[in-house]
Amino acid sequence: MILSATRIAQKAAVIVVSSLFARVALLPAAAFAQAPTTASSAPSQGASGSGGDRWLHVRVSNPGSREETVRVNVPLELAEKVLPTINKDRLHSGKVRFDDIDCHGVDLRALADAVRSSKDGEFVTVQSKDSDVRVAKHNGTLFVHVFEKNRPKRSQVEVKVPMKVVDALFSAGKDELDLVAALHALSSQGDTELVSVKDEENTVRVWLDSKNVTD
Amino acid sequence: MLLAKLALGFCGTVAVAGAYTFHEGVMRVDEDCSHGRHVHVWFPAAVVPMAMYVVPSRHFEHAAAQLSPWLPTLRALTRELKRYPEAELVEVEDANEYVRVRTHHGKLLIDVRNPDETVHVACPLAMIEDVSRELEAKTPGV
Repeated sequence: MILSATRIAQKAAVIVVSSLFARVALLPAAAFAQAPTTASSAPSQGASGSGGDRWLHVRVSNPGSREETVRVNVPLELAEKVLPTINKDRLHSGKVRFDDIDCHGVDLRALADAVRSSKDGEFVTVQSKDSDVRVAKHNGTLFVHVFEKNRPKRSQVEVKVPMKVVDALFSAGKDELDLVAALHALSSQGDTELVSVKDEENTVRVWLDSKNVTD
Repeated sequence: MLLAKLALGFCGTVAVAGAYTFHEGVMRVDEDCSHGRHVHVWFPAAVVPMAMYVVPSRHFEHAAAQLSPWLPTLRALTRELKRYPEAELVEVEDANEYVRVRTHHGKLLIDVRNPDETVHVACPLAMIEDVSRELEAKTPGV
């Protein structure tokens, strides 16, 4: 009787120890497995990004020489959370200070207000022998197009910024740009290419989508 | 019978202690130089915050003072990166050098490859967060 009770106690101890071991050893995996259900805003993992997380991608490449390639992928939410913690030089609490000297006397806020309140259309169109410049607003998006014709500096710059992002950028106090607010506004946008620069040597692309890898 | 019980207790304790020690993963640094030097350091990540807790504060004063402006950033970054256990963050490649920063299985992986050396660092994000918290505790006013 005593012998069987001891054996049962031994078996129970083995089961408890082994289950405890398994629980602790598998803790990280279990934590990852639970993450999407416990965190309401848990991001998507993997290339598909089905969870709706927004990623800002930067890609710099040399299509001709293939000498250098830079790929940066940043989750917008991460940037939103981390930027306010950086207080260095002009960057503080997610805002960047600028002054009149930086803008050569141009009141950027007034300019943004004027663009916002104006109707859709082309604001600037310059066509010359050396370059074409076009600034336009269409369906709540600001377009800037610069085309340098002169070789060897033949280059093409395309910038596409939603007006909501511009508004958010200028929503801080005077002489400040609110980067965090702009990122937040950007996160509500669909997949879009923001900046594209192409010249003889380099290609630069900045775009937004739900994938955590570049193509 | 008593010996068996003692052995069972000992083995159980060792198993639980081992599992706890490694539950945060392993911090790993591998360096292979072209001129023959090889450095491979592996240790359990859970040991680092424990060691920091034991080591007197004065030994961390310099490091903590230099890091203090960046500790909130480091903590926020690791906290957020833990939400992205599989992500390619930075990849830079040129004719001679290759640098890659990514997260994989909850670890921050940094790979650097150039003609002179190859360096791989794998650091559990939980460990970085623990270290930043420990350094903050040792740096009043952060």
